[in-house]
Amino acid sequence: MPHDLNYYLATLAVYFLIYCVLTLGLNITFGMAGIFDFSYITFMAIGAYFAGVAVLPPSNVPGLQWILGLNLGFPIDLLIGALAAGVFGLLIGLVAIRRIRSDYLAMVLVAVWTITWSVTSTTIGLFNGQQGLIGVPQPFEAQLGVNPNDYVFVFIPIAAAALAILFAIAYCVERSPFGRALRATREDQDVAAAFGKRTVRLRLTAMVIGCVYAGVAGALTIEFLSAMSPNAWAIIETVIIFSALIVGGRGNVFGAVLGALLVRILIIEGTGLLPTLPDHPELIGATRNILIGLLVIVVLYFRPQGVIPERRRRYFESRKPAADPSSEVTKGG
Amino acid sequence: MELFFNSIGFGLVTASILALAAVGLTLQFGMTNYVNFAYGDFMTLGAYLTWTLNVRLGWPFWPALLVGALLMAIPVLLISRFVLEPFAKRSGPTFHILIVTFAVSLILSNLILAIWGGDFQNFNVGEDAPVNIGPFLLSIQQLGIIGLAAVCMVAIHLLLTRTKLGKAMRAISDDKNLAAVTGIPTQRVTTIVWVLSGMLAGLAGGVLALNVSSFDPNVGVTFLFVIFAAVVFGGIGRPYGAMVGALVIGLVVEVSAVFIPSAYKLDVAFLVLVGVLLVRPDGIMSLLARG
Amino acid sequence: MAEPLLSVTDVVHAYGGVQAVNGCTFEVPEGVICGLIGPNGAGKTTLVDVVAGALHLQRGSVRYAGADVGGWPPDRLARAGLIRTFQLSREFRQLTVLENLLVAATGRIDESLVGALFRRRQIAVAERALVKEARGLLEIFGLDALRNDPAETLSGGQKRLLELARAVMAHPRLLLLDEPMAGINPALMGLLEAHIRRLNSEGITFLMVEHNLGVVDRMCEPVVVMAEGKALAVGSMADHRASDAVVTAYLGRGRPA
Repeated sequence: MPHDLNYYLATLAVYFLIYCVLTLGLNITFGMAGIFDFSYITFMAIGAYFAGVAVLPPSNVPGLQWILGLNLGFPIDLLIGALAAGVFGLLIGLVAIRRIRSDYLAMVLVAVWTITWSVTSTTIGLFNGQQGLIGVPQPFEAQLGVNPNDYVFVFIPIAAAALAILFAIAYCVERSPFGRALRATREDQDVAAAFGKRTVRLRLTAMVIGCVYAGVAGALTIEFLSAMSPNAWAIIETVIIFSALIVGGRGNVFGAVLGALLVRILIIEGTGLLPTLPDHPELIGATRNILIGLLVIVVLYFRPQGVIPERRRRYFESRKPAADPSSEVTKGG
Repeated sequence: MELFFNSIGFGLVTASILALAAVGLTLQFGMTNYVNFAYGDFMTLGAYLTWTLNVRLGWPFWPALLVGALLMAIPVLLISRFVLEPFAKRSGPTFHILIVTFAVSLILSNLILAIWGGDFQNFNVGEDAPVNIGPFLLSIQQLGIIGLAAVCMVAIHLLLTRTKLGKAMRAISDDKNLAAVTGIPTQRVTTIVWVLSGMLAGLAGGVLALNVSSFDPNVGVTFLFVIFAAVVFGGIGRPYGAMVGALVIGLVVEVSAVFIPSAYKLDVAFLVLVGVLLVRPDGIMSLLARG
Repeated sequence: MAEPLLSVTDVVHAYGGVQAVNGCTFEVPEGVICGLIGPNGAGKTTLVDVVAGALHLQRGSVRYAGADVGGWPPDRLARAGLIRTFQLSREFRQLTVLENLLVAATGRIDESLVGALFRRRQIAVAERALVKEARGLLEIFGLDALRNDPAETLSGGQKRLLELARAVMAHPRLLLLDEPMAGINPALMGLLEAHIRRLNSEGITFLMVEHNLGVVDRMCEPVVVMAEGKALAVGSMADHRASDAVVTAYLGRGRPA
């Protein structure tokens, strides 16, 4: 029936828009700055949780508990979520982003995810523990009084607006000297420092930007779904976002968007359409994740730059042909 | 006071589990120079292989554990030979291999989920009896874990110091290129160490699952960062350092449970990990000048 | 008499039980091409690393441009005009040749996040000037045709030239060259020598670690001889050839190219 199809496609569109925010953020942290933020999904959760407790009133249902409960409106709650994610990322970055090997950094960040996940799951009073936040009011839901089935059409412009702003920011970063400094730091941190770059500060900035993006994505997710529980941010989610970025093409914003389309929409939604075996409900999800893992390995082996490689920028090139270069040193020793 | 000794007893158990896992991880790092982020899932796989032998085939726990660990050789060989080493051989940026191990983790954890399902499982181990040893109160199973770890540590020590393989391992860990040039078959030794690492992971996973009673496919992953803490504490790539790290972290984690809610005791390992990386990234063992 | 641009006094750096630099003292006046020679293991590269801030100054002092810079990190030294090259070319592999040079121009363009978002127009103006300067440099070094190629696709000799061009783009006051002629064919060597002399005449001071004594002979004055972690002698190559101590320590076993 047409309405159901529209509804389904609209929901897909929202998922896609939000996932683009995730991949764009990781593109700055990892794609441009080369930081293995294996804790990335944690910041999505922080953004979601803080946005949730900002918009929710204090809990009045026994058995459900959460902190704050500020009962603020949209977009204040989204900003609070993004800010919380950024602050959290800054605190972690101040400790972890220093001149240590990248695998040590990755280990610390894995630990960050593990601790955050276990603390939020077991501590009921924080964000309602394993059950998570529920009943989060959706933006403008009360004012517009829209039929819940049609709400998705209201949310699409909200998500699209957020993505448009964040895409523009990412695009500016990519083309800027700041972005170039990040890439140089990624290529060789020591040499970048030898040419005057404050590499720790650059990397820290890149990490915090990525965390803010993840926080916005989390806030948008909880606003749309009205709920967020620890199940939604297992560590494999970070792997999947990495996969999306690597497949689509890291180091450039279009690759990030393409990756979101290919992995989040094509693969995840595509496999979601397969029939579920009644005895093994987890089989579809498991198969999908195995496929994604294999895809990443294959892409890294045969085409590590991804579908859309990092753009090789030509600076201020005019159309007229360049003067003949001297040919003596084109073949070096 | 009794509480304190009990926690030290538990600390020894945790340290035993950690020692098995940390030595496995650090030996493999010494050969390959990258961290295997799928290691937690290796442990989980070992636990589930043991479970299949124990619960599905009715074997007693300890034989099931040992055979399960031996069986780990197969998947580890396949993964290291066909997935990881092809990447390691390339001269490209080293970051690829970290993502690859992360992808292997994704694949492995979902394979386990697909094969065994996501429900919590238990081993068939019958009644466990408490035993008083001096001031400590431990169960027979826990004593078994400590005993197993002790035997393995001695075996590793003998391997490293008394065998040709052990000497080759130490040479490669020091300087891979130099070792290759002097005729050591680095590829073969690396493969053997992968298998050894996988088997230790299997043992560690099995005893970890035994110690927590109820386990699911996440059992290894949630413990992984504690292993990282032990490995980094001792200095990555140093097996004896890993043993010391395991002991220290194991005791610290359990003793801390006396002072803070036990739900957070593992998180203390995180503080140690961060502390070591901030103060002495080469590990505490580097303070004792040795090689 | 003006203070020398670089003074190294009693510098010590040891690691793993090896006293790589063991009380090294010498000066580099502004405007010279100073050579730093010595047998293998004399501690030359370690000394360069210490001066450049890449290694810890354990004892002694380093003064540069009138300031005590012991303990300064490499990026701070670079911003003060102390630039170094590396023995094995270390280009930014996936950045283009042109971008390698643009990155070197620290302090001459806004590299902040805020600038990227809100000062795009000013940045575009600054970038246009930098690109013009960089292309001019690339033209001189014969690399302009390759400007949009990833640096990793260059040949070994081209990477050497890029290394030097990038260092020059940073507008150094003191340029530390670590074995610039290592593994270079004679034709390219002549070209590099010409570039270094030209840059020196334009005001850059050089401290060059070199094994190729012919190059040192032709270009460097003064020359510091290091042996066993210390500066054994400072003077001209002629002086060194005449000195028994230097000959014993080094020249007797070396071979001018």
